[in-house]
Amino acid sequence: MGQQPFETILEAHHAEIYRYLRRVTSRAAEADDLSQETFLRAYRAYRALPSDANVRAWLFTIATNLARNHFRSEGRRSRAHAAVIVSRSALDDGAGPEGETLFNETRARVEAVVERLPLRQRLAFILRKIHDVDYEVIARSLDCSAETARAHVFQALRKIRQSLGESQQMEIQR
Amino acid sequence: MNQPRVCSNIEPDIVASASGDSDPVTDERVQRHIDRCPPCAGEYQRYRAIEGVVGAIRRVPIPTVAVGRARKRLEASLEGLRHRTIAYRIFPSPLGQILIGQSEQGVSLVEYLGSRGDVRHSRLAHMRGVEAVEDGAEVEARYRELMEYLEGKRTRLEWPLDLRLVRSDFHRHVLSATSEIPYGAVTSYAGLACQVGKPTAARAVAQALRWNPLPIVIPCHRVIGTSGALTGYAGDKLGLKQQLLSTEGVRTQKTTIPRNSMYVSFPGETFYCLPSCSWIPTSEHPHRLIFFGTRDRAEASGRTACGDCRPDLHPLTN
Repeated sequence: MGQQPFETILEAHHAEIYRYLRRVTSRAAEADDLSQETFLRAYRAYRALPSDANVRAWLFTIATNLARNHFRSEGRRSRAHAAVIVSRSALDDGAGPEGETLFNETRARVEAVVERLPLRQRLAFILRKIHDVDYEVIARSLDCSAETARAHVFQALRKIRQSLGESQQMEIQR
Repeated sequence: MNQPRVCSNIEPDIVASASGDSDPVTDERVQRHIDRCPPCAGEYQRYRAIEGVVGAIRRVPIPTVAVGRARKRLEASLEGLRHRTIAYRIFPSPLGQILIGQSEQGVSLVEYLGSRGDVRHSRLAHMRGVEAVEDGAEVEARYRELMEYLEGKRTRLEWPLDLRLVRSDFHRHVLSATSEIPYGAVTSYAGLACQVGKPTAARAVAQALRWNPLPIVIPCHRVIGTSGALTGYAGDKLGLKQQLLSTEGVRTQKTTIPRNSMYVSFPGETFYCLPSCSWIPTSEHPHRLIFFGTRDRAEASGRTACGDCRPDLHPLTN
């Protein structure tokens, strides 16, 4: 019996949790603070964690809770959005084959929609679609049922679909 | 905004199926539907395309430099936190509830909580710069050894100690001298004051022992008044002092130690005597004497019987 040392947990999950928070907050400094807080909390609670617990899911739950608290002030959130949209479109400005440019435009548009989603939908979408986290875990992180978590992801996809309309970008498949 | 034309009753299933997030039964139902409903088939294809875009977003790397920087900062914070953390547990014992706390460096706290086995009554709850974490695993072995000690099956607790809760260098000095008092022996506060080079500081020594964060382990129960009175222990827990001393073979009469019926020596001395031995300078530094309850204990401390009074040939009868 006995747990893995906390260093192992850090090694296995820090990069992913950081990436998740970076996608959620879209600012390096905030992702830095939130990932730090996630792992400090995890360290404090780690001893009490059953040795057969799903550590990855547990870390996502802590990170998501912290992110939700962080965004409780709506003002802070809109500021974060503005920053992201600018930085992403700047990034995607590269020249390239026509198809690629088109695809990148679509990607930028999808990202912009995701940034503007209500917080729970956005978190559910990122957890599920980017990090492949189970609905049960998402539900735990968002204090809702697995069905509601699923509905959040559905709504998010639906909004993405609506924003893309009937434009030709949709025809591009990768 | 364009409202896509799609059969609303099956829309969630189409979305789930197109984004690879449904079960085979749903997938089949969706397939059957889109085979005969062209608008829904179109929507299905569009959601497939979105899935492709999402896949690309998933693959967008976040600079490893940023991850590395965050990781480095986190490791520094963790190091600080680790250093501040004291893992503790509260155990039952013949002396009441006992809290044992241990840091990375070693055991930092042993505390009598009486019948209130609650960390809120502990020093840990009021200590600044300390993170108290309840955790049995690390202190469990300490507890077992402590129990063996209290049952008289063990005479030493050779634990790595962390003296961070000691209040001052003087206290540290006193506690270090206290650790030198052998198992089964007692000495006086004034004697200990001499040991630390401050012969007039008996009261300050008593204060230092009062704040001893590691009772039993640092055996402050082996320190008594110059008159032989037990004086005090852990506030008002004189009974615990008696219990601990009796485990070590030191008898008490009411609240005093019958020094006339104990073997005598000095700190650092290599032999032990009968109390009547002419070698014992009774007028000079009597408070510096240390007393053993039994010959076994005196000999276990590395002392041999005095060649003058021969306590080995004339043991004390009690």
